[in-house]
Amino acid sequence: MSIRDKIPHLPEIYVDSNINLLLKRAKENRTVDIEEYETTGGYSALRKALERFSPDDIITLVEESTLRGRGGAGFPTGKKWRFVVANPKPRYLICNADESEPGTFKDRIIIERDPHLLIEGMIISAYAIGAEKGFIYIRGEYPAGYMILENAIEEAYKKGYLGKNILGSDFSFDLYVYRGAGAYICGEETALIESLEGKRGHPRLKPPYPPQYGLFGRPTVVNNVETLSNIPIIVTYEQYFMHIGPPGYYGPKLFPVSGKVRRPGVYESTMDITLEELIDMAGGAIGTPKAVFSGALGVYHHSEFNIPMDYSPRGFGGTGTTIVLNEEDCIIDSLIVIANFFHHESCGKCTPCRIGTYEQYNIIKKFQEGTATEEDIKLLQHLGKNIPIGSICGLGYSAPNAIMDALRKFRDEFEAHIKGECPAGVCF
Amino acid sequence: MEYRFLTEELQKKIKSIQNRYLAKEQAIIPSLHLIQETYRDIPKEAVEELSHFLQVPLADIEGIVSFYDMFRFKKNAKNHIRLCRNLPCHLGGSRKLLKMLEKLTGAKAQGHSQDGKWYIELVECIGSCAIAPSFLINYDLYDGSKIKNEEDLKKILEKYD
Ligand SMILES: Cc1cc2nc3c(=O)[nH]c(=O)nc-3n(C[C@H](O)[C@H](O)[C@H](O)COP(=O)(O)O)c2cc1C
Ligand code: SF4
Ligand code: FES
Repeated sequence: MSIRDKIPHLPEIYVDSNINLLLKRAKENRTVDIEEYETTGGYSALRKALERFSPDDIITLVEESTLRGRGGAGFPTGKKWRFVVANPKPRYLICNADESEPGTFKDRIIIERDPHLLIEGMIISAYAIGAEKGFIYIRGEYPAGYMILENAIEEAYKKGYLGKNILGSDFSFDLYVYRGAGAYICGEETALIESLEGKRGHPRLKPPYPPQYGLFGRPTVVNNVETLSNIPIIVTYEQYFMHIGPPGYYGPKLFPVSGKVRRPGVYESTMDITLEELIDMAGGAIGTPKAVFSGALGVYHHSEFNIPMDYSPRGFGGTGTTIVLNEEDCIIDSLIVIANFFHHESCGKCTPCRIGTYEQYNIIKKFQEGTATEEDIKLLQHLGKNIPIGSICGLGYSAPNAIMDALRKFRDEFEAHIKGECPAGVCF
Repeated sequence: MEYRFLTEELQKKIKSIQNRYLAKEQAIIPSLHLIQETYRDIPKEAVEELSHFLQVPLADIEGIVSFYDMFRFKKNAKNHIRLCRNLPCHLGGSRKLLKMLEKLTGAKAQGHSQDGKWYIELVECIGSCAIAPSFLINYDLYDGSKIKNEEDLKKILEKYD
């Protein structure tokens, strides 16, 4: 029995695109195999990269593309690669496929439906940064994705896209998949590295950053699935990539849209789309839209829905995660889910994060139960300031974000709960 | 040391994992996945055997089992239900679905049914928010929005013995 026969069925997730780049082959719910990938233009970017470009040329192309990391922080990819090549070999390339941000399900579409796009992206990236070994760290809860990747990697080895002297060049690259085991914190790149080394996933103190001190202390690039999947597109389009989308934020972006919309799913667009237009693309809101939670990280009021989905200071940024709430949903009742999530996922290494996230949860619970007072708002603000200060990783920095945003933008809901009223009629 | 849980087949698989990686510790997590898939839980003795086989300290492996949510020492029920409780699923009605699941399986959230057939775990986002409220039974993923009543859910549960 081959791996292929054991793969669990894939979830029916709706996808749509108005540019057909990352999702070109991913509209239907099935896995594109290597033959189909090749006949639809696949692996031609790798061939082109090896024949026509030096590693340095590719880094320059990626710098010019303005590509930013799609894993949340939005760091310029070309810049990260420049850092790593300043340090000696051996270097490693890691794909972050831990995808665990609440409301985020974009990477899985690439992994499950078009795995060779990611693999081709990784081979070209490894060539650019001079890495001979690469790892895909996939979350434990994606068993199908794990098997699909194992199978696709085997296909790629057989065709000579992986292994020694790829396509007759003097570049060699080995790629492995590694499964996580249920810990959100392992998406944080240094925790991921610890986990990949075979330890508990505790984040490291930074600096040094992975491009200096990464896997087993070696220079390492960690990039998100969607980021790496952009690389074949950049190599294919070269200068024309700068015609896709608005200046400075070129290229395709995936947006996982869920909550109260008619057609939840993953949508691909250029980044000049606004939040409002994205919701329309997903069939429009069910009922009257009230707010958008961007994963666990921020909250948008419906009066802000005209913001662009780009990485500018007033843009949406991040992973593009869009969870829509309507008038029947309660902000407090939603925050309790988020607060519980951070409390549950804090790795416990820093006391302000470990204790602070629990306190946040307890206080929000008081609002939900109708026992909160004005004093509790002050306490939340106090935690909002102090949890990030006492934390060493992005989980602690961002744990109060949604609550702080909600306090600014939906203060009336907090006040109403103090008075024992839930405007949406969900609590009490 | 004589191995009771690390059968020859498992040893062979673990060896092939070891060959891929840069350090022996990198085989711990993949080996635990293999052990758990074979026994539905991680027997204490299996961990001792693994420690001996990989030549890594027992405490390191135990630390890993306790850190990662998916690993468990406790004997698991025959079928493991993971129901998502994060925001999109919450908005999509995961609480209501939990009540139905509890009623039909006899298990309570984070607990076993008396016959040992079901275990219900509430989990964070499993990346299936477009089919909210979503849940996994073992490795099979289900779209909770398609479950309109107890009859629909019964049909799914009946597939498992
Ligand atoms: C708590 C936490 C969880 C994270 N989870 C993920 C994740 O699941 N996937 C991901 O790509 N990046 C995640 N990140 C961001 C990574 O640390 C890192 O910035 C990213 O993998 C870099 O890739 P990029 O530059 O291509 O975005 C997480 C960060 C934090 C602080
Ligand atoms: S900030 Fe929180 S999650 Fe990050 S290392 Fe500290 S305790 Fe762990
Ligand atoms: S919130 Fe339930 S699968 Fe994402």
